[in-house]
Amino acid sequence: MVIRAISGYQLERDMKINILKNLLPLAGILFLTACNLTKDVEIDLPDYDRQPVVECYLEPGKPFRLLMTRSYAFFDTLGLSTNFVQNALLDGALVTIAYNGQTDTLKNQLTIVSNPIKIYNYVGQNLVPGAPGTAFVLHIRLADGGEITGTTTMLPLVPIDSVVLEFNPDIDSLGRMLTYITDDQSQDNFYRRLLNYSSLDSVPDQDFIVTDRFSQTALIAFGTGYELKEGDTVFNTIFHITRDYYDFKESVDLAVVGNLNPFAQPSPIKSNVRGSANPVGIFAPLVYDRDTTIVQK
Amino acid sequence: MNYSALLSCLLLFPLLGTAQNATVSGSLRDGQNGESLIGATVQAPGLGKGNASNEYGFYSLSIPEGEDSVLLRFTYIGYQTQTMKILPRGAVKLDIELAPVGSLLEEVVVKANALDEKRKSTEMSTSTISTREVKALPALFGETDIIKILQLKPGITPGAEGTTGLFVRGGNNDQNLIVLDEAVVYNANHLFGFFSTFNSDAVKDLKVYKGGFPAQYGGRLSSVIDVRMKEGNNKKLSGTGGIGLISSRLTLEGPIQKDKSSFIVSGRRTYADIITEQINKANEGKEDYNKIPRYYFYDLNTKVNFTLSPKDRLYLSGYFGRDVFTFKDPTFDFRFDWGNATGSARWNHVFGPKLFANTTFTFSDYRYKIQNELQGFSFSLGSNVKDANTKADFYWQPNNSHTVRFGANITYHDFITARLKAGSDDGRVRFEAGRDYDGWEYGAYISDEWAIHRLKLNYGLRLSMWQNDPAFYANIEPRVAANYEVNEHLSLKASYARMNQYVHLLASSGLSLPTDIWYPTTEGVKPEISDQIAVGTSYLIGDQILVTWEAWYKWLQNSVDFKDGAELFGNNDLENELAIGRGYAYSPLELEIEKKEGRLTGWIGYTLAWVRRGDFPDIDNGVYFPPRHDTRHNLSVVALWDAHKWKKRGKDKTLQITETFVYTSGYPAWLPSGRASFIDFPGAQPQFVVPIYGPRNTFRYPAYTRADLGVVYKWKKRNGFENDLTLSIFNATDSRNPYFITIAVENETTPLGEVPFEIKAKQVSLFPILPSLTWNFKF
Repeated sequence: MVIRAISGYQLERDMKINILKNLLPLAGILFLTACNLTKDVEIDLPDYDRQPVVECYLEPGKPFRLLMTRSYAFFDTLGLSTNFVQNALLDGALVTIAYNGQTDTLKNQLTIVSNPIKIYNYVGQNLVPGAPGTAFVLHIRLADGGEITGTTTMLPLVPIDSVVLEFNPDIDSLGRMLTYITDDQSQDNFYRRLLNYSSLDSVPDQDFIVTDRFSQTALIAFGTGYELKEGDTVFNTIFHITRDYYDFKESVDLAVVGNLNPFAQPSPIKSNVRGSANPVGIFAPLVYDRDTTIVQK
Repeated sequence: MNYSALLSCLLLFPLLGTAQNATVSGSLRDGQNGESLIGATVQAPGLGKGNASNEYGFYSLSIPEGEDSVLLRFTYIGYQTQTMKILPRGAVKLDIELAPVGSLLEEVVVKANALDEKRKSTEMSTSTISTREVKALPALFGETDIIKILQLKPGITPGAEGTTGLFVRGGNNDQNLIVLDEAVVYNANHLFGFFSTFNSDAVKDLKVYKGGFPAQYGGRLSSVIDVRMKEGNNKKLSGTGGIGLISSRLTLEGPIQKDKSSFIVSGRRTYADIITEQINKANEGKEDYNKIPRYYFYDLNTKVNFTLSPKDRLYLSGYFGRDVFTFKDPTFDFRFDWGNATGSARWNHVFGPKLFANTTFTFSDYRYKIQNELQGFSFSLGSNVKDANTKADFYWQPNNSHTVRFGANITYHDFITARLKAGSDDGRVRFEAGRDYDGWEYGAYISDEWAIHRLKLNYGLRLSMWQNDPAFYANIEPRVAANYEVNEHLSLKASYARMNQYVHLLASSGLSLPTDIWYPTTEGVKPEISDQIAVGTSYLIGDQILVTWEAWYKWLQNSVDFKDGAELFGNNDLENELAIGRGYAYSPLELEIEKKEGRLTGWIGYTLAWVRRGDFPDIDNGVYFPPRHDTRHNLSVVALWDAHKWKKRGKDKTLQITETFVYTSGYPAWLPSGRASFIDFPGAQPQFVVPIYGPRNTFRYPAYTRADLGVVYKWKKRNGFENDLTLSIFNATDSRNPYFITIAVENETTPLGEVPFEIKAKQVSLFPILPSLTWNFKF
């Protein structure tokens, strides 16, 4: 589908990208620029000092887990291999997370979680408390003395109210799925929507962030196009995210798109971890509701 | 002494020395079609006096009263000179029609400043583009485009390759006041700027001011591009048209009442959609076939004019253009359209031999709208800027030493910024965003062009105001330009102009996109201000080649840019996304060598310039950086050669060869300096290569070079029907110029997902060699 969303939310966020994505092929036809118009070039980029990269998502009921790596100069060949992650890991740091008057120290230990696969190199003993409003403070002291700090607050879960499957009246073999949530309109909320088909390790069919700033109703709908067939498995996830994460994710998306799309303005990554180590990264709660549906008529 | 007092004193001078003079005045027009001639000269050679017609063809010349007849000479390039003897007593009204020089090629010469007139003028930093140049020079896909020819002038940098972007003397793309018959055109392009909105069949004249702005212009910082439509042939019905690779055009013009009133209607439409629709139809029902969206654009220009009396003339003109992109299937109905509409009503009134007035009402509307319908749900997003403007301009020539212009205008602006509506048909889900603004813009000006022997001085003042409750701004804009004629070959020139801009284009990329938003000045967004000084010389070699050198410096205040990662859509607080800073640009060398007459005509333009923006608290900590249009060297060589002219079987035939060559230093780009990896949320794919961007625009692309060739073969039948076949070869040397550079990552599949094993920089070019053939006709 050209534009899959039936809620304005996805379009609000991805409008320009979607428009251009679909107009450009037409321009391509018009301009007959199909082939032989790209070539490898050698370019010199500005000098770059590597930075610590921190990712720490606090999932209620799961252990504290954090991944810390180092960034590379863009063309740095280091780490370009299947050992990419291992080569990038930044170990040997003292990592603590304080909350509810206690401080947990995370152990520097490589940990791989499956389904979906994720990797961490700092893991705590205790489980993340899920009470909304709980404040967390991250502190990292690197082996070289560099400091990194970050703060975040646990968010409440926003449950999926209902999932509605509708089949196209014209092409009855194709269906669409409408997912509804109820938004708390008394405050600004931010959401991320992920839609995976077949498995959670698959490339998401939808992945976007939205705000509720323009919603005139408490009910918010997320949709698919008429693209579902009988027997399809749909993993439908709505994350309730912080403003910090929203800004971070948006900046990451713009950085990626800015490199690929001449129409887009790139963005530096907007991090909520700071300190003398000059880090990039994010410290945020991971609160979501997921519906798994097998499409049936 | 403040500006107003100084100006008041200076303006007393025109009132002196006006006694005992006769005044000859009237209109200068094309004898073949009745079009008014702008900048045509009237001279009394025996008295050493002369003057030029204004933009409506009106002229006025004062000569001493006497008993002996005086010879007057009326000249205009491309037209036969006409002489006439008059008795210089009182007010003499003389409407003159000049006959075009009869050859096939020369007949299309509608407008070109005589180089010597240009040298003598106080105007500097100006360029004119003739229809002849536009139609003959090679063009992308054969689509002749007056704006793209303008890009070949020194001091003007194009935007991205192939587009109609204009960055004038370091200014931004939105700092150009583009007016069509005095109505503002907000987005003067189609298809992301690849084609301009100006159909060259309907255009009579284009003049650009890059600096030294006359006081009658205001509202933008960096240039004024004054486009005038043809008035319509008031002698006979005639037509022009053409069939090209991308579009077809047809123009009809003729008298409503011979010599009194005329009309012109001109249309253009692309037809790629007709082909793509056929392809879609042929593949209908095929499972793997992805339907091609439909896209087309069209323009319609219309104009009528009426001579109401010997002293009154009325012009009504309009433009309507749209780009339309649609995609429709049984489950999805998407439409995206954008375009301009403008309208002008102008009334010329001659109060007397020395005073001419023009009253104008204009309307301008630019909008885009994106709509999507899906069963049970709908979505729409749009922006709109509308202007209604009224103004009065007076042109007073108390004597030959002074030409005074004064006038005032009021403009009402209405803005809808990114209006979003979405939701379900049953109303259970509904989103709305976007804000409406309005504003009043006022201007009043007075200026005098004063000839003091070898020195000509054009000084004036413009008062501009903006009101957008509760914001109110009033600014004084002094303008001054001087020309000192050292001898009959050399002139020294200088100018200073301050400009204010009250509307701002929020554009998040270097390209001109239809979704860019016009935003008003408010309490938080102050008027943008520019100050430009320029000095230069004009040297005429023989009487055919004019060498113009200028150096200039421009300061910008309250420049508007976006903060990093700004959100443009669905944002009710756009001001929070804006960064306000400063800028400057300068050039020690802006050179143009022009040749306008003879078999070989054209120009060479070269600019050496520096452009910087900075002092934005939210961008790179206020450090100054080069914007994307900071290109150090710009060279253009444009040549039109009337290669051969012959007669065969009673048909006049000509062959013309044209060429353009462009060299531009590499422009700055914002490329990533580092990369990071993120594992991301569960369900999302890890991102192993996320670019990390450092300071803006620290990288420069390779230089850009392009040579285009054109061959124009014309033949004229005995019945007067003219044809030409125009072969355009865009990028004749097949240069692979950089359009953008992307960092490509080669991945390898691992249990963790796609892991990078190689990273390469890839340069993407847009246009290879592109020949095209266009058939044009005229009857």
